[in-house]
Amino acid sequence: MKVNDLLAHGFKALCLTDGDREIDGVYVGDLLSWVMGRAQMDNAWITIMSNVNVVAVASLADTSCVILAEGVALPEDVRETAEAKDVNILGSDDPIYETAVKLAALLN
Amino acid sequence: MKELSLNILDVAENSVKAGATLTQIIITEQDNLLTIEIVDDGCGMSEEVVRSVVDPFYTTRTTRKVGMGIPLLKLACEQTEGELSISSITQENDPVNHGTHVTATFHTDHIDFTPLGDVSASILTLIQGHPDTDFLFMHKKNGRVVKLDTRELREVLEDVPLNSYDVMEWIGEYLREQYEALS
Repeated sequence: MKVNDLLAHGFKALCLTDGDREIDGVYVGDLLSWVMGRAQMDNAWITIMSNVNVVAVASLADTSCVILAEGVALPEDVRETAEAKDVNILGSDDPIYETAVKLAALLN
Repeated sequence: MKELSLNILDVAENSVKAGATLTQIIITEQDNLLTIEIVDDGCGMSEEVVRSVVDPFYTTRTTRKVGMGIPLLKLACEQTEGELSISSITQENDPVNHGTHVTATFHTDHIDFTPLGDVSASILTLIQGHPDTDFLFMHKKNGRVVKLDTRELREVLEDVPLNSYDVMEWIGEYLREQYEALS
């Protein structure tokens, strides 16, 4: 499944620079230093954190996209950084668990 | 990071890399405010570099394009409504009094406060890895202080390396006893 495909399932595009990226697995976490060492390449990463460090961690871990759950807003300056660094960010109005469950169903 | 002691280790490692001969690590706990200061006499940073180290996409390492030590510490501060500040004087600007001063403040009563963790372990790791540079460590709390100054140890030990097994054991015990008296 590609990042673009999520748009048909209620996920919103907050910053989409490479929608053709393939999603392989999901990681969930908010403690950025923890995520940095554990999220795998091509994972979709679900979090409620939305500061600029999220873009850096997504870039380091090379995740396919960040998904901001719980309807968390993406600040404009962070969106600009994400765009410059080619980091996909989607939004979900569902809580973290429901977002993860939804993704699991879509990926299987 | 799950403990601030790991952030302290990270920032102090930067001080050593900057060629510091003395790195001071001072923790002060006063009411609900915790302050961590890391002060070194290393080569210092220009204003531009100081601005960029809080940027997660900056690093002095060449292996990756982002450096997360200072940005994550800043985040940990701001999550408790504290703040992080850095002042620095380059060796070029002042050949005598150069170095970097990092100050991080935290409100310990904030729900998102990251626990301090095992600071003694961080100090031991620093001495173990860099036995030829000096560290002054102080943890002030409730009018008491835990203190370790490797310059004083060096004077007594003369040629015995600070990272020899017996010395490390002794330092660990020395810190532990002082922490017992502190709590």
